Amino acid sequence: MTLEAKLYDGVSSQEHCVEIHFSDDKRVVIDEFNLNEPIESVKISSRLGNTPRVIEFSSGIRVKCEDNDTIDKILNRLEYKKGVVHKLESSWKFAISSLAAIVFFTIFMLTFGADYSADLLASKLPQNTLDSASKKALSQLDKGYLHKSNLSNERKVEIIKLFNKLTNGDKHYKLHFRSSPKMGPNAFMLPSGDTILLDELVFLDKDPNLYGTLGVLAHEKGHYIYKHGLKSLIKGTIATTLVSYLSGDVTFLATTIPTILITSKYSRENEREADIYAKSELKRLKISSKPLANIFKELNIYVKKRGSKSESSLISWVSSHPTTKSRIDYFNKD
Amino acid sequence: MQFIDDVDSDDNSLISKSEKRVSSTVELAKKLGAKRVDKSLKDSSDSSYLVTSDDIDNFLSSKDSSENKNSISIDDDRVNHYNSGQFIPFKFRGEAKEYFKIWIVNIALTLLTLGIYSAWAKVRNNRYMYSNTYLNGSNFEYNASPKRVLYGRVIVFLFYALFLLFSDVLYNQTLALGVVAIFLLLLPWLIRQAISFRLKSASYRNIHFRYHGQTRSFYKLVLVIIILVTILFLPLIISKYIDVNSGFISLLSFAFTFLFFIIGIPILYLKFKELIINNSAYGNSLFRFEATKSSVVGLFIKMAFATTIVSLIIGVITIVTSSGFAKILNITDLNLKSDISVLLTTTGVSFIYLVSIGLYKGINDGYLSNFTRDHTKIVNGELKGTISPFKLGFISMTNIFVVIFSLGLMYPWAKMRYLRYKIENTHFKCKEYTQFSSDGRDRGSTVGEEAVDFFDIDIGV
Repeated sequence: MTLEAKLYDGVSSQEHCVEIHFSDDKRVVIDEFNLNEPIESVKISSRLGNTPRVIEFSSGIRVKCEDNDTIDKILNRLEYKKGVVHKLESSWKFAISSLAAIVFFTIFMLTFGADYSADLLASKLPQNTLDSASKKALSQLDKGYLHKSNLSNERKVEIIKLFNKLTNGDKHYKLHFRSSPKMGPNAFMLPSGDTILLDELVFLDKDPNLYGTLGVLAHEKGHYIYKHGLKSLIKGTIATTLVSYLSGDVTFLATTIPTILITSKYSRENEREADIYAKSELKRLKISSKPLANIFKELNIYVKKRGSKSESSLISWVSSHPTTKSRIDYFNKD
Repeated sequence: MQFIDDVDSDDNSLISKSEKRVSSTVELAKKLGAKRVDKSLKDSSDSSYLVTSDDIDNFLSSKDSSENKNSISIDDDRVNHYNSGQFIPFKFRGEAKEYFKIWIVNIALTLLTLGIYSAWAKVRNNRYMYSNTYLNGSNFEYNASPKRVLYGRVIVFLFYALFLLFSDVLYNQTLALGVVAIFLLLLPWLIRQAISFRLKSASYRNIHFRYHGQTRSFYKLVLVIIILVTILFLPLIISKYIDVNSGFISLLSFAFTFLFFIIGIPILYLKFKELIINNSAYGNSLFRFEATKSSVVGLFIKMAFATTIVSLIIGVITIVTSSGFAKILNITDLNLKSDISVLLTTTGVSFIYLVSIGLYKGINDGYLSNFTRDHTKIVNGELKGTISPFKLGFISMTNIFVVIFSLGLMYPWAKMRYLRYKIENTHFKCKEYTQFSSDGRDRGSTVGEEAVDFFDIDIGV
């Protein structure tokens, strides 16, 4: 079989019109240039759209031919190994299947895939790594955001007693008192079990027994037990990687908005889980969850005073906390 | 060297097909008949089939597009071979439909292999762009090996993972900063490697491009940039330590900033272009970049002027439409008002942002590409750019919206459209296409290329 082609010797930019011959004993022959090589020693580029095919001889001489279909026929006859990718790239059936695969894979990775790998990683990460990382995070926070607590010693003892009840005296949990006007009323538990309680939250608690504070600590313990922090970190990483890969250039729209939606949905689910955990813990300790409802009410007022996001119908679905009202109702029901 | 500019730097950008001009050229080709051309190619052993002037005139009068006259004499580049030393445009034969299938399969395989296929995807993608770029009947080639691209990617990824490990997992900021410092120190070298890799991966008529630039020159250029930026902030630093008249300081600061933008940046741009182009070669022939300092300053003033005018127009339109919306809003339900206005403002701001980004990107790209083309020469040959910056701005802006409203599916179309316009408005004049020679090629390392790719650094090669 003979094909018309153009030859470039690699030494000059001169173009030569030649005839390339594929013999039945699997040799590639160009008489004008005394080329005669077995087909295994020449490199034939994989087909890509309808771009000219490049046949490269071992000496570096290249031959180009535009007749892709005939080359494919010849290669089939000579049983030359061809890549499968062009087959995928050349039919609409595969293009649409690819699109379906992309959509399916993305959804799968953002839901089950992310959950599964987050669970797996969170359970596989050794505790002492988490401990040392948490210690470092705490010391970083101490340098930047956190200040000494101004609570009286009596108050502190009272809260520690409640905290020990909650943790059954497990030495793994440690309570740290801090204050932070910047962060406002808050409490959080690091993956090591180190718990930080801010004065501003205790001040919001109008309950004489400080059961509201206890409720918040129980809620934070829920986050800790379910490893929410770690999981959302892992999920966030997966989501960001996926979305930024898929979006390519429209960085502005594509990377920020979906990731916010996805991660905020995660934390809304997480908050709900932690709420349920807090309620069951309070039940175990035979303590009413009403003070916790009150503290959420106070928090809501505080947020509104500070002029943060209002609970308007449009904004709340992006908010990372379940709507405060449904939360308060949940804890008011005993 | 210019096609590399086209194909690579726009790798991640929204891109195109120039409407009238291209469609008329394509249509002409169709009308005059690819069949007829093919036939005549077979019939006559002489492969210089030319469209007759009658054909062109008939076509033009039926099409009423007089502006296309000079580009039309090139009908099918498989058949036309010019050796006479006149400017001929590059041709781009990529097709949106064909590219769509390649693109979507690339993404699917990359996801399903958790990123490993991305190296093959990159090579196939670049191969498609290069192979469809034709000059005088021959196409360019992209020769990078996917496996080597993969090694480069793995190394860069591991480096980045190391940084993440220190900064986000172990909270060891000193080590994380150390990793960043190493990266910044290596950056000039990495950029050189990337430029070199891109050139060495390209060939035309089996003659490879090359790069001879020295790493030392890149570090020197970075040093100059650091010194200039320090001088820029000098008035502010002085005012911190010495008590001087604040009016004087702000005047001085203003003057420095003005000089930096009007002279400093253009000349840095010129130096960078010289560093790239003067060290690039096609086979054994070196490219030359011959632009004067005053011409580059003039270019940047022109660009600033164009940008200002476009911004003013956008500003006026924004004020008019937003006050119109505000009036309408007053009549609507009061409860919904805040939500609607939040939504409207967000959409409005994003809209203006996208319009501006698209326009500026295209306009600047147009000016800079033309400038580079117009001043690049090679033995007995030179390039010329005939891109209209505003048209490119329009293409780039409309591309963004087409891509967004098609949920990304029209990206291949947009990319072909942009590339086609840029490539087909690049011209090359050469006395003898057969004059170039080469004594071998080398491959270059992939780490720099992948680092530049990974962190999306625009090196504009």
